[in-house]
Amino acid sequence: MGINAERADGTVIAKADGRIDSSNSREFHSELEAVVADSDAALVLDFEDVAYISSAGMRVILLTAKSLQKSGTKFALCSMDDSIREVFKISGFDKIIEIHHSQAEALSAVSA
Amino acid sequence: MTTTESRQKHKILVVDDEPDLEPLMLQRMRRYIRTGVYEFVFARNGVEALEALDMDESIDMVLSDINMPKMDGLTLLERIPDVAPDIRAVIISAYGDMKNIRIAMNRGAFDFVTKPVDFDDLKFTIDRTLQHIREWREALSARDKLVVLQNELNVASMMQQSILPNKFARNDDYKLFGTMQPARNVGGDFFDVVGLSDGKVGLAIADVSGKGVPAALFMMSSRTLLKGAAMRADGPGEALSEVNDVLNEDNDACMFVTMIYAVYDPETGELTYADGGHDPPLVVHADGSTTQLPVTEGLALGVLPGFDYHQHSHRLEPGDTVVLYTDGVTEAINSEEEQLGLHRLREAFEQNPPQDAEDAGHRVIDLVNEFAGDVPQFDDTTCLVLRREA
Repeated sequence: MGINAERADGTVIAKADGRIDSSNSREFHSELEAVVADSDAALVLDFEDVAYISSAGMRVILLTAKSLQKSGTKFALCSMDDSIREVFKISGFDKIIEIHHSQAEALSAVSA
Repeated sequence: MTTTESRQKHKILVVDDEPDLEPLMLQRMRRYIRTGVYEFVFARNGVEALEALDMDESIDMVLSDINMPKMDGLTLLERIPDVAPDIRAVIISAYGDMKNIRIAMNRGAFDFVTKPVDFDDLKFTIDRTLQHIREWREALSARDKLVVLQNELNVASMMQQSILPNKFARNDDYKLFGTMQPARNVGGDFFDVVGLSDGKVGLAIADVSGKGVPAALFMMSSRTLLKGAAMRADGPGEALSEVNDVLNEDNDACMFVTMIYAVYDPETGELTYADGGHDPPLVVHADGSTTQLPVTEGLALGVLPGFDYHQHSHRLEPGDTVVLYTDGVTEAINSEEEQLGLHRLREAFEQNPPQDAEDAGHRVIDLVNEFAGDVPQFDDTTCLVLRREA
């Protein structure tokens, strides 16, 4: 698991990779916190290279969503494969967190 | 006060029958003694050395000659572990006495120096030995902490097992069976069976986010809340809404639990269920064909207060088996890093329809174990089964 992030016009695009589970969810959380500042307008988290996310990883997504909501930073996820998309659907997380097919769609949604 | 005073002083036991070594050592090492880096204590032979080690636990290392009366250095090496197992010894030998040096090393000496003693080399050897002892002690303390942590996890694991029902209703109308195979590092799965009024029965299966002690504690409160809500609430949707609202109070840690709560009415064969972000029930028919019941589009509990959980009803036919499971089943991983997936579970039942509730439950666990082989699983594997008999 690792996160690569870049920032353009106040939007952070973070790309995670590998498996996100209870063995690295803390690291995932601290890396995710480190890439985004309160002054950022939006965070787009790209799942293209994520192979698996466990409930411990889902919890980090939830924590991030809640803290970004407090700081008024928009948050969107994108580019999930079908099995990960299914996890977000079954858990109902897709009702409270925006999920887009592609990074481009996510970017245009958060900049709207 | 010098800075060296704050450093830990190391106590070194020097063992030699020649009286000249003591004043020489004190003289050559005086700088380090004065600044509190070393403290030396002396013994004249192996017997005195063992007594000193036995009396004084603060001795860090032994520096010993080989040839001495009463007990020589090689015998001392053999005896040190009995009185001070975590101590290291350095041997002083005659120059070129490879035979004794080899014996000393084989008996666990950490290093050796030769006579006449080169005190710069001795200082270096002592520091290297003390460094090793420090690292060794740190490793021991880390191991002790790990043992404590492991004990805590065992408590969490016992908690988890102790709350699961292990006796199941067996009557002419329906049979129940539930089982959980815990992951190595304690997950947070549980299932429960609640007797309700009018002969109805409540069935719950749940999976708490994360692992270890926090997951076990959250599991305990979820399970207690559900039991209470199940008795009071009018239907599964209302029960989940109530549990969710309470779990959302003071949940800064954002823990959550996915859950299915179902109520079975043996009079009508009707199964009414609500999902809280959990895989929907799988119905296995008597001929082995399977139907996955629709999701009620609930959200994992503990995420959003005030969420309105819906429910859905499905009439079971006699011979139908309802399998509730956690994602430890469908997300089990094999050596090819493939997930087991719902399709393999359905195929297994289609090829070989379950004989009864217990058979179906065991078959789910067996399927996971066969699929996973030697690959360690990181999630609990849990299922709860209801079979309508008549």
